[in-house]
Amino acid sequence: MNVPSKVPVSILTGFLGSGKTTLLNRILSEEHGKRIAVIENEFGEVGIDQALVIDADEEIFEMSNGCICCTVRGDLIRVLGNLMKRRDKFDYVLVETTGLADPGPVAQTFFMDDEIRAEFSLDGIVTLVDAAHIEQQLGRSDESTEQVAFADVLVLNKTDLVNDEALDRLEARLREMNRMAQVVRSERADVPVDTVLNLDAFNLDDVLERRPTFLEPEYPFEWTGVYSLGVGRFELSLADGPDPAMSLVVVPHQEPDDAALREGAEWCVRRYAEPAQLIVPGEEIPVGKHVNLKLDSPGRKSFTLVVDVPLRVGLYAQHTAEEFDLQLKDAQGATIEPEAERTWVAQHEHDDEVGSIAIETDGDVDAERLNAWLGRLLRERGVDIFRMKGFISLAGESRRFVFQGVHMLFDGQPDRPWGDSPRRNQLVFIGRNLDEENMRQGFEACLV
Amino acid sequence: MPGLNADSATGVLHRGWSATVDDYAIAGGWSRRGETLVVADAAGGVHAFDGKSGASAWTGHVAHDGGALAMAIHPTANTFATAGQDGRVLLWGVADGQVQKAIDVGKGWVENVAWSPDSRWLAASSSRQVRAYDADCREVWRTDDHPSTVSAISWSRAGELATACYGRVAFFAASTGKLRQTLEWKGSLVSMALSPDGDVVACGSQDNSVHFWRRSTEEDSMMSGYTGKPSALVFDDTGTLLATSGSHCVTVWSFQGSGPEGSRPGILDLHIQPVTTLAFARRKLRLASGGRDGGVVVWSLRRNGEGGPIGAAVVADVVSELYWRPDGRALAALDARGGVTVWRVR
Repeated sequence: MNVPSKVPVSILTGFLGSGKTTLLNRILSEEHGKRIAVIENEFGEVGIDQALVIDADEEIFEMSNGCICCTVRGDLIRVLGNLMKRRDKFDYVLVETTGLADPGPVAQTFFMDDEIRAEFSLDGIVTLVDAAHIEQQLGRSDESTEQVAFADVLVLNKTDLVNDEALDRLEARLREMNRMAQVVRSERADVPVDTVLNLDAFNLDDVLERRPTFLEPEYPFEWTGVYSLGVGRFELSLADGPDPAMSLVVVPHQEPDDAALREGAEWCVRRYAEPAQLIVPGEEIPVGKHVNLKLDSPGRKSFTLVVDVPLRVGLYAQHTAEEFDLQLKDAQGATIEPEAERTWVAQHEHDDEVGSIAIETDGDVDAERLNAWLGRLLRERGVDIFRMKGFISLAGESRRFVFQGVHMLFDGQPDRPWGDSPRRNQLVFIGRNLDEENMRQGFEACLV
Repeated sequence: MPGLNADSATGVLHRGWSATVDDYAIAGGWSRRGETLVVADAAGGVHAFDGKSGASAWTGHVAHDGGALAMAIHPTANTFATAGQDGRVLLWGVADGQVQKAIDVGKGWVENVAWSPDSRWLAASSSRQVRAYDADCREVWRTDDHPSTVSAISWSRAGELATACYGRVAFFAASTGKLRQTLEWKGSLVSMALSPDGDVVACGSQDNSVHFWRRSTEEDSMMSGYTGKPSALVFDDTGTLLATSGSHCVTVWSFQGSGPEGSRPGILDLHIQPVTTLAFARRKLRLASGGRDGGVVVWSLRRNGEGGPIGAAVVADVVSELYWRPDGRALAALDARGGVTVWRVR
């Protein structure tokens, strides 16, 4: 028997008026030669010849165990179950949900039902957002929040009705809620079809290619410069900048390589948690302490740094060197260039309950401990975890283990061999009120 | 099941004939005396084959626009009914392939169709509604909307129609459509089997369990431990054994004595992929099972539910349905590639 490949399924969600039908019609008219089946829950105005459009009543089935994570869409199981029997099988299935639909049961259907799982794979969840109205909707309804949280792609539609500044603010808010999703802007749902279909949303690599920083932790500082200093007094000066003060930690014995910088960053996070000592211009900056440089007087302000033995220091600053034109000079007035520099993803205020957590570490994971940890996490917090995906380096396994999940449902398998690439782990969780520190520690305890 | 193919059937199965239809063979049945096998496919075609030779008797292409979904052989006359995605039920003559009646049931798919055992009524379900028709295909009654789409219907000998959907089983009087009893349970019921005396209702549930009720006492029980949803359930015609799918094994519950509550089921383990369909031969504890692996196995069972294989064969794709010829001396398998395979059984 041959094993036919699974038919990809995309789910289109979004509130009424967000442009779902427009996008659907666009996909159907552009994807010539593909046999696409569309399952709709409300009468739209889809009228394309080659597509089979099936109207199904939304039927949400809960299980006897009362677990919301086991809720599935009965209508989809029936319709898809019959679709897969056709010899002229479909290349693609699009499921358009009603505006008020909770995307959970739709997505869960592709994990929960053994027969559907054998024939179909969930390619991705595309959520359309009406740029002019989403902010009110987010405040009022759980459904719109969840539609954003579940998305692999967020189409920020009707951008012509909103000014650029508001759009940027909105996009930042949506990204904060769902760091995993790709955000595309459009006026009349006119997005390239390949940004919403065939996403292979399982594949975290693509996400990383688009936004390499998205897995990185956030820090209370934005910039680090590493300087190699001899014995003596040095002048650290800053010009006028955006703020009347700036936090800083001077880390002694800072090596310039990336691993050492990350290590220094972790150490600094703890210093930054301590109360800052206020330093006025002319004063000496203590090494290894959280200080707050007072910068509210006009003109260039100077501070002193004293070095007793030659060493490298890392300046971990709240703002980039550029913003204040930060300069370091020796006693002779010669400018010292940093040996290494890097910027960090700065922390944001989290207004929404829904947010994303990313965990990235090197090292191999013990499968049993991982199972136990993930099992407990999903049992206890599954209701609040909307989506997760990532890959893991399992001890003793020559291939990457990739996974994705919806609520407490989890699907994973080995994919390509690690080969020469460094073995590491990347996990992303999107959920409500997630405890980042706790989850990070839990995962790190699974490392061999 | 490696090492087997349709040509090298083993045990009680002996090569008979094979044929193909236009698409996934969805439903079929043997005519009353076994002289003809009729098959409906996912392209909407209906086909008749000579029961002995497999020669094509007639073909009705695209009878149901969008595809056929169900079939019911008339219990006494030489006719049968098909139902499809076009919202219609068609009544066919077995001998000539003529459509004698066409019933417009509704806008939605007609997913279930069944004759009452006394052949007086034909029931069909579409979306949340069930309608009953008399022998002349005139509508007699229709139900109110069920809480969700009706997933299964079954007539009992007691002149009642049972329906299953999400959350409940309901019983309607055959002649009036009056609702007589509902048995509720929070879960999506995907399949149903009634014991021959009508007392036991068994349903496969989406949450990988079998739930059953004894109507006389309204007691219910749940059998769990399945790895998939038990979409195939069959009673033998004495009502002693209930065979269920829901994994790569067939699980057989015995109702003898005080069972099956508290008893261990018989586990029939030979398929390497999930079991898709089950059929008991008449008047025998002989069961046929088909699987996603294309395997067809005939099992001889004891009254306690245990048993072993007495014949096996393999077809080209997922086995969709199995039908014993009424005399029990031939077995037909339909498969996902449109294959129709018949073995003689000795």
